[in-house]
Amino acid sequence: MKAVIIDDERLARAELRRLLAAHPEIEIAGEACNGDEALALIAQTSPDLVLLDVQMPGMTGFDVLERLEDVPQVIFTTAYDAYAIKAFEVNALDYLMKPIPAARLAAALAKVRPRSGPARLERVFVRDGDRCWIVALPDIFLLESEGNYTRVHFSGQRPLIRRSLNALEAQLDPAVFFRANRQEILNLKWIDKVDLGIAGGLSVTLRGGRAVEMSRRQSGRLREILSL
Amino acid sequence: MKIWDDSTAMETPAAYWGYQAFYWGIFTAIGLAINLANGGNALNLVISHILFFFYSIGLTHVFRGQILRWRSHHPSVIRMRFRLFLGILIIGFIQTALIISIDIALNGTRLQDWPRAAVAGLAWGMYIGTLVWTIVYVRITERRAQEQREAKMQLALREAELRALEAQINPHFLFNCLNSIRGLVVEDPPKAQDMITRFATLLRYNLNHDSRHTVPLSAEAEVVADYLALEKVRFEDRLRLQVAIDPAAASLQVPPMILQSLVENALKHGIGRLPQGGEIQIRAAARNGSLVLEVENTGELTDSLPGDTQVGLNNIRERLRILYGDRASLALRSSGDGKVVATVQIPKDS
Repeated sequence: MKAVIIDDERLARAELRRLLAAHPEIEIAGEACNGDEALALIAQTSPDLVLLDVQMPGMTGFDVLERLEDVPQVIFTTAYDAYAIKAFEVNALDYLMKPIPAARLAAALAKVRPRSGPARLERVFVRDGDRCWIVALPDIFLLESEGNYTRVHFSGQRPLIRRSLNALEAQLDPAVFFRANRQEILNLKWIDKVDLGIAGGLSVTLRGGRAVEMSRRQSGRLREILSL
Repeated sequence: MKIWDDSTAMETPAAYWGYQAFYWGIFTAIGLAINLANGGNALNLVISHILFFFYSIGLTHVFRGQILRWRSHHPSVIRMRFRLFLGILIIGFIQTALIISIDIALNGTRLQDWPRAAVAGLAWGMYIGTLVWTIVYVRITERRAQEQREAKMQLALREAELRALEAQINPHFLFNCLNSIRGLVVEDPPKAQDMITRFATLLRYNLNHDSRHTVPLSAEAEVVADYLALEKVRFEDRLRLQVAIDPAAASLQVPPMILQSLVENALKHGIGRLPQGGEIQIRAAARNGSLVLEVENTGELTDSLPGDTQVGLNNIRERLRILYGDRASLALRSSGDGKVVATVQIPKDS
């Protein structure tokens, strides 16, 4: 599995490299010492895993994630940053406190999975004010267009992400995410029940109670997929 | 928090009026006893002494108002003494004039009936009376103000020490530092040893801090050097340093942690935010009776400084004001070419 190390301190990167030497399954694809370098490195190497320092000059670890279209698996490395860790409510793979104990690193690395396939969006980074989430796509039940932004619905949250619905759609797995109408894309695995709606369209209710009205054309396609 | 301006807090109203009544009561009673023993119209003597009691309180009360106003401008000791002396002369003169006028009004005497020696004696008595009143009043209130300043100083110092403790031994610094040293152990063992020693020194300085109000600049500079050496391990080439401490300035007294706080600020809000890093210049020189400390760093002075910068700088300002009144200052300004300079000026003589 490919990993990249992002930390502004050379000694910290060297330490991490030495620790990772005990894990031959991890191949270090590169190092970056600031946000700009990190973005270039990730774009160039598409790593499975990013070991990311939270506090860096210029761009913080969060700023880096916010600029990534597809977020790899992330393990945060931080000296001590209660605030930053609190801001992360959902789904960072792990946090490692520097100096990092070898056993702790091994436990974190055990959670890393290789990428399922190329060019498929696996998780997105969302920031809403002071709160951040790394959201795995299976947790998202609805994507709602709001101009150039998209509202991401997952586990009681519905923050905005700075990407258009159309741009997102191109990266989604069509077997899971289904265009309901011009405004919304729903996650087929979250469908609870399907009713006949007004004017021949279907009305889908998702687990959790959210109702989505299908356009006439997409209703036909949905019938096919669900073999109704 | 205003330290010098709440001069009225130097005394409680009860204590002040008690002092007025007690002092002038005794003074008037002694005068009355002497005059009664010398003979004369007893009723007139009692009346004139009662009047004396009240206008003396009135005069010294006005004088006290003036003393408080003078104090609020923190004059030098000599200037204050001169003013007090002048005030005492004026009050003594008014008292003497009033005593003679009242005597003329009550007893029908004439000014010519007052021999020169008697007037002079009376005036001396009044001067000494007011002088003693003033000395006692000023001493007591100054001591109280001093005690209050001490208490506030302790409080502010403790706060600064706490903040410095948090800043140097702030967990972020602490753990990053340990992590860097762990890296050094492999790369450069002698340097790692040196850093562990410096780290210990820094910890000791912070844990064993005493409550002195000032320390020699040289002692403060040593701690800053240890601190910066540790930060340099982390920042490496991104932190460049220039230290120029004038030998004449090294022995001068500064409030502890003052240079430290300025350097922390420069690192946290200057160099620490720049991916390319930058330079910190520390300068100290004795100039025109003042000690001038300057910490310059690469960076921009943003309009909205984050709260904690203000807290740090305000704490320095606070301690300077408690120690030196208006005679010390702290200024933070942008020097134009992408540098920010913090300048502290401290009077040399204190």
